[in-house]
Amino acid sequence: MSSRVTLIINGKEVTVEAGTRVIEAAKQAGTEIPHFCYHPKLKPDANCRMCLVEIEKVPKLQTSCSTPVAEGMVVTTESEKVVEAQKGVMAFLLGNHPLDCPECDQGGECQLQDFAHQYGAMTSPFGETKRTFEKTYFGPLIEKEMNRCVSCLRCVRYCDEVIGSNSLGSMNRGAMHEVGAFANHELECEFCGGCIQICPVGALTSRLSMFDYRTWQLNKTDTVCNYCGDGCSLTLETVQEDVKRVSSEAGTGRNTGDLCSRGFFGYSAINHESRLSRPLLRGDGGDLEVTWEWAYQKTVDGLKGIVEAHGAKAVGGIISAQCTNEEVYLFQKLMRETVGTPHIDSGARYGYINAVSALTQVFGTARLTHYEDILASDCLLVFAGEMTETNPITALKVKEAIRQNKAKLITVSPYRSKRETYISHLPHLAHQHLQIRVGTENTAILGLTKAILEKSPASEMPEALLSKVQSAVSNISFSEIETVTGISEQQFVDAGTLFSEAKQGVMIVGRSVLRGNDGYQSMLRIAELAILSGQVGRPGTGILALSKESNAFGAIEMGGTPEFLPGFQETSEAEKGYTVIEMIDAAARGEIKALYLVGENPLRSIPQKKVAAALENLEFLICQDLYSTETTALAHIVLPATSYAEKSGRFTNHEGETQKLRQAIDPLGNAKPDWQIFSTLINKMKTEDKIPYQKLLGHSSVDVVWKEAVMAMPPGWPVLSNEGISAQISSYAADADIRWTLPEPSPQGEGFDLQVGQSLFHAGKMSTYASGLTTLLDSPVLLMNPEDAERLEIEDGELVQLSAEGEQVMVQLPVKASKKIAEGTLFVPEHFSLNVKTLLPLTLDATTGVPYGDHGRVSLSKVRVTA
Amino acid sequence: MPKYEQILFNNMSKAGYTGSLKEYEAVGGYTAFKKVLKEYSSSDVIDIVKKSGLRGRGGAGFPAGLKWSFIPKDHVGPRYLCCNADESEPGTYKDRQLMEFDPHQMLEGMAICCYAIGAQTAYIYIRGEFDLGAEILENAIQEAYKAKLVGKDLFGSGFNLDIYVHRGAGAYICGEETALLESLEGKRGKPRIKPPFPAINGLYQEPTVINNVETLANVPYIINKGPEWFRTIGTEKSPGTKVFSVSGHVKKPGNYELPLGIPLREIIYDVAGGILGDKQLKAVIPGGASAPMMPPDQLDTPMDFDSVAAVGSMLGSAAITVMDEDTCIVWAAMNLMEFFYHESCGQCTPCREGSGWILQILRRIEGGEGRHSDLDQLLELCTRIGGRTVCAFGDAEIGPILSTIKHFRSEYERHIEEKGCPFHPNATLSMAH
Ligand SMILES: Cc1cc2nc3c(=O)[nH]c(=O)nc-3n(C[C@H](O)[C@H](O)[C@H](O)COP(=O)(O)O)c2cc1C
Ligand code: SF4
Ligand code: SF4
Ligand code: SF4
Ligand code: FES
Repeated sequence: MSSRVTLIINGKEVTVEAGTRVIEAAKQAGTEIPHFCYHPKLKPDANCRMCLVEIEKVPKLQTSCSTPVAEGMVVTTESEKVVEAQKGVMAFLLGNHPLDCPECDQGGECQLQDFAHQYGAMTSPFGETKRTFEKTYFGPLIEKEMNRCVSCLRCVRYCDEVIGSNSLGSMNRGAMHEVGAFANHELECEFCGGCIQICPVGALTSRLSMFDYRTWQLNKTDTVCNYCGDGCSLTLETVQEDVKRVSSEAGTGRNTGDLCSRGFFGYSAINHESRLSRPLLRGDGGDLEVTWEWAYQKTVDGLKGIVEAHGAKAVGGIISAQCTNEEVYLFQKLMRETVGTPHIDSGARYGYINAVSALTQVFGTARLTHYEDILASDCLLVFAGEMTETNPITALKVKEAIRQNKAKLITVSPYRSKRETYISHLPHLAHQHLQIRVGTENTAILGLTKAILEKSPASEMPEALLSKVQSAVSNISFSEIETVTGISEQQFVDAGTLFSEAKQGVMIVGRSVLRGNDGYQSMLRIAELAILSGQVGRPGTGILALSKESNAFGAIEMGGTPEFLPGFQETSEAEKGYTVIEMIDAAARGEIKALYLVGENPLRSIPQKKVAAALENLEFLICQDLYSTETTALAHIVLPATSYAEKSGRFTNHEGETQKLRQAIDPLGNAKPDWQIFSTLINKMKTEDKIPYQKLLGHSSVDVVWKEAVMAMPPGWPVLSNEGISAQISSYAADADIRWTLPEPSPQGEGFDLQVGQSLFHAGKMSTYASGLTTLLDSPVLLMNPEDAERLEIEDGELVQLSAEGEQVMVQLPVKASKKIAEGTLFVPEHFSLNVKTLLPLTLDATTGVPYGDHGRVSLSKVRVTA
Repeated sequence: MPKYEQILFNNMSKAGYTGSLKEYEAVGGYTAFKKVLKEYSSSDVIDIVKKSGLRGRGGAGFPAGLKWSFIPKDHVGPRYLCCNADESEPGTYKDRQLMEFDPHQMLEGMAICCYAIGAQTAYIYIRGEFDLGAEILENAIQEAYKAKLVGKDLFGSGFNLDIYVHRGAGAYICGEETALLESLEGKRGKPRIKPPFPAINGLYQEPTVINNVETLANVPYIINKGPEWFRTIGTEKSPGTKVFSVSGHVKKPGNYELPLGIPLREIIYDVAGGILGDKQLKAVIPGGASAPMMPPDQLDTPMDFDSVAAVGSMLGSAAITVMDEDTCIVWAAMNLMEFFYHESCGQCTPCREGSGWILQILRRIEGGEGRHSDLDQLLELCTRIGGRTVCAFGDAEIGPILSTIKHFRSEYERHIEEKGCPFHPNATLSMAH
């Protein structure tokens, strides 16, 4: 129980939590104390001296931002002495300030302006020369105007205390103090924009929208980011139909106001020039811009024609996992009910389905773990060395748990953990890092399971399950496991003991498992590992599967995959439709004649020649998208959709939290939100009469769609009781068939293990349309261990050639040495280097059909420069 | 020169004494440490130091024994001792002599302190420019390790001790104890907000004692000869001796170890031989650059912590800078302000901004462009700094300004009226950023 303290502020009695700072207590009492360096997210630094107050019996004025309340304390915030002190500080801060407010992007929301107005004197006492600094930049996106800086160090402290990237620091002393960037980090700066957001004045501003607006012209709309599954709340700030800026209010949302570069700087994808703005019909003479009425008619005619000629099962639909819940719900309704085909799948097929299927299989729900659990835990077992890159805000929660809660971090990943890798790279912070060979996550899970089972007694595992797990691990030896993973028995035992003996342990699983070979089985094994170590079903425990897409969880929940109807209700074997790859294969065979692709671009997602052939084989291809892509070029009809800024709806993030998107700007040109398109098509498909299409919109708003979707959910949704979970575990225990198969150990010596994955500055394809992000990374690159590069005498930027056995293709890429990359491995961020995937073997998950093609063995040779 | 009882300069005053371990042991060195290990509990040691009335010699005069007693007895985890050897206060050069000529005396004091507070690790934070001092200390520590006076399980007592020398990088502010801790941790040297105080939350967040070189060097003698003996020297509230670094316009500048409470006049005119060229005295800085200046009518002030404070200045590091009748006070204040302007860490607004404005105004007055309103402006700037900063540097930098305006206002006015410096007629000064 926390205790309460009563004090008197300006004669008024206030009762607050013990430990509250005086400035916060005053705020609760309705008194604002002026401040610069204080920020609720940061530890007190008390450097600006603006918040001085008088405290009875204390001779000197005290900084209210750093002084904790005490019982009976008597505080005065407006006495003559205090006002004099505030004036003094204001005079000092304004003395060297250039007073260039008319051309400052912060003007109108600047704490210096505001407090000067309230507390400053009308004239400056100083007639001397002002100190001046040259304007400089922190990289391509942040402008640094130190003449405006009040040296509050909020930016530096935010970068250290919240982001943990330690990129900023103080330079020089005294009046010449300025904020500077530390060089020589591999990733000096994550470009999260946090320093810009937290700077109380215009000393740090975004170069992306310099002089583009005055702050008071901005309309603000609170919505949710669409770049990954972390589910960050953000505010789109717009002037007319242009997004000028993104912000996130400190303390709000799942992200508590913190963002990553994609959220903060990624908004220019919204109005990119290659956005589609009108429906297009492909004819012999090329593309024809048509009206929506025409486009709807053609779509309905086309679909009906195929259904009549070949049956409904000749139609398939694939929807992006960045569409909203309402959109996925309506799309599956259009496909399953209106068209009558079971073939519906979504972008969740590219990995996330493994997590949701496996977790519901074992626990009856995939909603197991929230960020609060991460923050409460004292041990984190993370199968996602690339977490800072894929899910930056969830990674921040891990960092916060380490910092605040002294949680222990165990990482399992092929990256190096060495201290000299950059600081925000997660394995860098690990107390124990199992640096496995590329693609051996599954076997590492086996090693951990075996270690926990043999060294520490199983606690809460049902007997039926325990005996199955035991017999499955018993005939595989640690030395066999070591041959595959490179990890010794002792390492597994240490990590396993640490995790199973933790009071509260959380497991976090990322792309390397979900899209690694046997991802579905791996997820089942992880679920068993959680039960075995007793780390599930209590606060501060559980499994969080990271999603790459903003709505992968929601897409599955809304019925966007063949295995589940809305609300995770399993489809029967008989009524189960095709997965993405099965649809492509069926199209190639001629079995599927029409495909409806919503925000999906399989030519990019699945790099196989047969995809192009399959799509070309279709009689009818509908593409509904934001941008024109290589796939829309093949479509018979192209429907222009709207971005997340132009529509309302709901995303469900990877915690299972459903959050609202709100429309910030009007749709571009004639583009329409996906849900409106589906709603109209559903009605139009059903109606024989030729009613004007305007009248066909069945749902008046997304909220009406959401209500309908909620009605379709099973009773009790969305929570499953603890009893429900236990019952499911027992029934899983009875049916489980646990088998481990060891993969062939990867050949050592010649050649490299190549992995493709994500860059921190990009997410999927949409981010590549954002100029803010492409200034950070806009071209393919091959990351290589520095020692390997040195041994092969390869310089940074030098082109090398990659080839794989049995593949005709050869790929050339420029090299960049990176300390996070382990010897003998290579890494390519996937966003700009698609052809590299053609080197990697593509396999399918035996149960879920998830395509795996993220890693493989390649050989590397230097490109000989010919004259 | 009258004979004063010396403590710290005794050994080094002997002809041929080089400060080696052998020589130090020959005059009774490390017997206090051995005695403590054998006979005293840690709280016994703290009691003895408390009883002696030893006050910190780094500037603030805080009772050493009391400071040691603040270290939480029940703390689990490491505790630290940091010896403050940053000695950067202009005019102060006593620690340097103590370290260079008799290093073991201070090391023994450190060892005893560590035993008393339960620290197993001690750091000497030495001013970056003290190359020789650092080398001498390193050698002395090696000697002590070899002789098993420092290291593991000393004399079978189970007490372990490691001592490290850490060299500063040239910032005056790193002598401030919390900036020192930050610097020692590898960070930028910027003072921390207090509370929490270092005794609770010091180096690496662990309980830490920070003491000046001279403070620690006194400890072995207090143990060996007893607190009562120590109290026979100096005054009731400032017992013991003090090393005064005398500089400026005196005939015999240098370090003098004298009993606390000795009158300022006696130091200047007897010990240091009087004013150079037998000129008149104009002003004295009694305790390093941070101490407000004293006018000649305060010459009979006894030089102990409380008496100097009573006349509006401070004993500080006891570095006495003497200025004769030909010294321009405005120039002197400006010179001191140059130092403070250059050394402000820049963390808190009043000190960071204020130091620059004060300096600019002083330069203008000295350069002949002063205005009568400047004096009020200076006083207002000082009130806006004093007592409102993170560390005591803010109070230090206004000392010279306030005291010179108080005692020598007419000299400022002459500069303003005569549109120039009466002492340096050709001075043209402007702010060079
Ligand atoms: C700006 C500033 C500079 C200081 N420099 C020194 C120094 O160089 N040496 C020193 O011993 N104390 C210095 N001090 C005092 C220390 O903060 C601290 O009070 C002292 O080291 C404590 O030791 P003592 O109790 O033994 O005197 C300085 C204080 C301030 C505010
Ligand atoms: S740049 Fe902004 S946040 Fe950083 S110290 Fe200056 S005013 Fe404060
Ligand atoms: S990309 Fe992910 S982590 Fe970054 S702001 Fe958007 S939701 Fe948050
Ligand atoms: S008073 Fe000066 S030296 Fe001390 S913390 Fe403030 S700016 Fe730094
Ligand atoms: S807000 Fe308290 S000192 Fe800056």
